[in-house]
Amino acid sequence: MNNGEISIEGGSNTHAEESVPKAIVLNEHAQVCLQHLLRVWLGFERDLSKVPLLRRIDLGTYTAEDHQVFLRNIRQQVIEGSRWITRTASSFDRDHAEIRSTIISHAVDEHRDYEMLEKDYVASGGELNDILSMERNIGSEALHGFLMHQSSQPNPIDLLGAMWIIEGLGEKMATSWSERIQELTGLGEDSTRFMAYHGHNDSEHMERFYATLDSVCVSDVAVKRIVKTAKVVARLYRL
Amino acid sequence: MSVYITSTGRFLPGPAISVEDVEKVLGAVHGKPSSLRVQIQKANKIQTRHYAIDENQQTTHSNTEMAAKAAEQCLDRAFVGREKVGMLAVASTQGDLPAPGMASMVQAELDLPEIEILTTHGICSSSIMALKAAWNSMRLEEHDAALVLSSELASRLLKKQRYEAATTSTFAAKRIDFSTEFLRWMLSDGAGALLLQNKPAPKGLSLRIDWIRGFSHAHALPTCMSVGSAGRPEDTRTWQDYDTYAEAEQDGALLLRQDVRLLDNLMRMGVDGYLRLVEEGVSKPSDVDHFLCHYSSHHFRNKILEMLNTAGVGIPEEKWWTNLYTRGNTGCASLFIMLDEFLRTEELTVSEGDRVLCFVPESGRFNTTYLHFTVVSQ
Repeated sequence: MNNGEISIEGGSNTHAEESVPKAIVLNEHAQVCLQHLLRVWLGFERDLSKVPLLRRIDLGTYTAEDHQVFLRNIRQQVIEGSRWITRTASSFDRDHAEIRSTIISHAVDEHRDYEMLEKDYVASGGELNDILSMERNIGSEALHGFLMHQSSQPNPIDLLGAMWIIEGLGEKMATSWSERIQELTGLGEDSTRFMAYHGHNDSEHMERFYATLDSVCVSDVAVKRIVKTAKVVARLYRL
Repeated sequence: MSVYITSTGRFLPGPAISVEDVEKVLGAVHGKPSSLRVQIQKANKIQTRHYAIDENQQTTHSNTEMAAKAAEQCLDRAFVGREKVGMLAVASTQGDLPAPGMASMVQAELDLPEIEILTTHGICSSSIMALKAAWNSMRLEEHDAALVLSSELASRLLKKQRYEAATTSTFAAKRIDFSTEFLRWMLSDGAGALLLQNKPAPKGLSLRIDWIRGFSHAHALPTCMSVGSAGRPEDTRTWQDYDTYAEAEQDGALLLRQDVRLLDNLMRMGVDGYLRLVEEGVSKPSDVDHFLCHYSSHHFRNKILEMLNTAGVGIPEEKWWTNLYTRGNTGCASLFIMLDEFLRTEELTVSEGDRVLCFVPESGRFNTTYLHFTVVSQ
């Protein structure tokens, strides 16, 4: 999974989950941006808690059928995710080569994740054809449309806001949902591999994110753009 | 109009109970030591605490008495006669009587004539609600002085007999029921008192109340800490819906529960509220000299706190101060007991002009409250 990864800090990071990431000193704009992004994320997380299907994880009434519904609906977002992220990379010019490298390596990591998700679906008792034939749901249509448009703009730094939300969701699936879903449904580990996988290399992802944020978020305008895109993505995800 | 905390008091019942002796006081359920006690106590790191019940689980002090004792100490230390007190606000998770409100009972115990009273009901943040209401009354210039009390007698809920009687509960059905045991090894008893006045005390340090804010998120998540239901998601009955109270008790509807899985959300909401206050310009992290938190810092040592540091709004560890480890987690009384010791401790220097930020989260259904004081002297 780590082929093609480019280390920003140089030197190899061990994957110790407990290791505290190196203290990163962000510029002032990036600090303010991160404060706003944290609030957008926390608000989004609360909104997610109110989605009936996800609320059942908290209530302890989530079933294997719920899990299939979840996987069927998220698959299209994962497929489209790999498309907008590669387009984002190609929209950065030569002055942003470092970011382009980071994004390309990230896309290589994840652009075929949906295959894992399909296997999880079958392991959860679903029929492969059902998930393959699933259309984009309303939220995925809106999200995809928005992200493809934004990623086609020159130097779309605001998509850092989108990555913030989507990465956060990946981490939440890994740390809060995957084991709990197994516990509640009696399904095996092979039904939540897609979810669990996103917990790997998390501190490394964060360091890359901070480094990128620090390099592009250098004005009030940049803060506003990034935070706004994060808000839009959070809202569209909720659809 | 500025309002000041000019005197404080506290009451901690009985001797300090060590980690090993906790089960002697609360009692071993069916004579068998708990298999979760050590693990939970290690996690909460509380070394000593106090109980208002003895080793036979008999009540030694009522909740009303504890509140009154803290009040007496606070009034004895004040430079103002008790006749000046125009309002009494009392907070507790559970008074001695379900009705009337606890403030009535405490008023009688203190023999304070013809004052305005307020009882607030909730869990840890109920004392902050009482404090805010009293502060607002003072700001409206209705009173020259107000007494705010918080008192908790959790041990009556935690004694072995409660668990032994819950014969058809989740506690009886499961070999290990984390949700009903978690708070058993966490909470203890005590009371705190604050006196509010419209001017600082003539001697010593007072705390000017700068602001008090609260954000509740009950709409977003299921209940996290509660008494009154059997703790089964499909069962919507609450304790009074059972034919008899005996049946409710049997079913575990009177056990104190904490859904530990949801607990992480409390901290996240705490961070959200804090960032909101920073965004609004109300709180300036770099100006804070002391941070008093109802939760101890080791609970926060995780990713989100690191993120606050990265975002430039973290509060350095050396500014955190708490006495939870030695006085116990006394629910809504904790912050008042903390403030009382904070102003007296020799552990740290508290000086005029220091800014004090306090954070009291309530896991019940996710209420987060924040307070800001400035240390003043006349």
